[in-house]
Amino acid sequence: MTAASRRLARDTVLMAGRQLRVLRLNPGRLIYPLVQPLVLLVLFVSVLGDLTISRLPGGGSYREFLIPGIIIQNAALTAPTTGLSLLRDTGSGLADRFRSLPMSRAAVLLGRLASDAVIFAVQTVLLLGAARLLGFRVGTGLAGLAGVVVVTVVFGLSIATTSAWLALLVKDAETAERVLFFPAIAIAFVSSAFAPVGELAGWMQPIARANPVTAATGFLRSLASGGTPAVAPLLEIACWATVLLLVPGILAVRRWGAPS
Amino acid sequence: MSERISSGGSPAIQAVGVVKTFREVTALDGVDLTVGSGTLAALLGPNGAGKTTLVRIIATLTRPDAGRIRVLGYDVATEPALVRARIGLTGQYAGLDEELGGQDNLVLIGRLAGLRRRQAYQRAAELAETFGLTDAVDRAVRSYSGGIRRRLDLAASLMTRPGLLVLDEPTTGLDPASRQQLWAALAGLRAEGTTMLLTTQYLEEADRFADAVHVLDRGRIVASGTAAQLKACVGSRVAEIRLDDPAVVPAAARTLARRLSLPLAEIRTDAGAGQLSLAARHGTATLLAMATALQADGIGVSDLSLRLPSLDEAFLALTGAGTAA
Repeated sequence: MTAASRRLARDTVLMAGRQLRVLRLNPGRLIYPLVQPLVLLVLFVSVLGDLTISRLPGGGSYREFLIPGIIIQNAALTAPTTGLSLLRDTGSGLADRFRSLPMSRAAVLLGRLASDAVIFAVQTVLLLGAARLLGFRVGTGLAGLAGVVVVTVVFGLSIATTSAWLALLVKDAETAERVLFFPAIAIAFVSSAFAPVGELAGWMQPIARANPVTAATGFLRSLASGGTPAVAPLLEIACWATVLLLVPGILAVRRWGAPS
Repeated sequence: MSERISSGGSPAIQAVGVVKTFREVTALDGVDLTVGSGTLAALLGPNGAGKTTLVRIIATLTRPDAGRIRVLGYDVATEPALVRARIGLTGQYAGLDEELGGQDNLVLIGRLAGLRRRQAYQRAAELAETFGLTDAVDRAVRSYSGGIRRRLDLAASLMTRPGLLVLDEPTTGLDPASRQQLWAALAGLRAEGTTMLLTTQYLEEADRFADAVHVLDRGRIVASGTAAQLKACVGSRVAEIRLDDPAVVPAAARTLARRLSLPLAEIRTDAGAGQLSLAARHGTATLLAMATALQADGIGVSDLSLRLPSLDEAFLALTGAGTAA
């Protein structure tokens, strides 16, 4: 390992440790990211779970169809907080402090993503636990459950990285708060999360087919159904993750570190 | 220049022709600045003079459009990482994580600056002791008063014993007691030989503590020197007279103008204090002429003095800010 990558690794761990320590000192902060998804899950499943929909692919119940969608939708809606909290740091004297230190600049974003990965993972495990109480089973067993967590975390981090870059483009925290949740809601709904792509409005269908939410949800459904996991959506989500982690990631780090 | 300024070999900061423009606004318009190693330099200027921009360029946070700045021998534009490894910055806004405790902040910043875990904890404890923060370091920073926050921010900048400490208005917004405590901390650092550059709005501070004062106005350094040199360059000393009866100050001013053949505008009056002052072009002779003139008109004088102009007066004269007043 070169000195620069050692420093990047060390600083990333330090910055992630900082976020997690803040959460430990303020456990109230965990209510929103951990409790709210559970409430939404229960509401969605109670209201919509027992609908009889005849044209579901694979022919299962709507409840089985819906829950993977809610898990991925929840990750998409949590992701903008990454950008918002990065922006909050940027506007403070702390950003100048970090920029004037001989630390790795990428570590500010990577540390944030690392601590957010922990949140995404805990969220997903809690959702899977609650879903089990609601009668949801992942047919592929423990490996399948691990697969759900990993894919959801990777998907969440991809959107989180994109939100970080967008937040730094917008600059103003209040504007960002309004702007960042729109695309998150849009990608969550224009997808197969709540209805099969074929049932969406015509103009939505091509967008929904290309949407990483559709790919991630599709892969989760294949894990839940208990058959052979589907390869195509997994490849698709891997491609999306590679692009979204690298391109907005590099742009965000550059933008964060650039001297004015 | 004093002994301290010229000593110490190569300068800590050497800026030549630094220009920085933000859209239409020229923040720095060809700044030349030299800060000697081991000295405390004050950067003085009205709001908007470019002080913060210059500090940010020195701290590698902003890139100059033209000119060169070497900090501790390294170019800020081409070797920013080497500069960052050697400086400490205490900005206008505290560079602290409000959610974390004081010690958490010190250790995090120390480790990001390259200290090992044990070193960071040791140094944090040492600085907490030095700056009287031992009771505060376990609490979250957001519960701190302004003075404690500033001292913690200063301690954070010192975790790696920087070769140059840059402070942007370190005492702005502090109450007098906190200001004194901060200045005691800075005086301690200065005694250890830490090179410092600070910006301030408080002329008295520059007067009392700085080895060299650089006056920045509209993006240019308009004067540099010791506080005494700056005061002297404003010209003559000031003759000041206090009257027995403050009520007759306007009459006294008219008497002085008439008998000494001076324009009334050159006589500064302070009716509240019962004082009149004017530039003593002929030293004590001016003072005596004033006393004699007032006596002739039967105006009682309680005190006479001849003094150097204050740095305030020097500052107003140098920046031209007082011409309209």
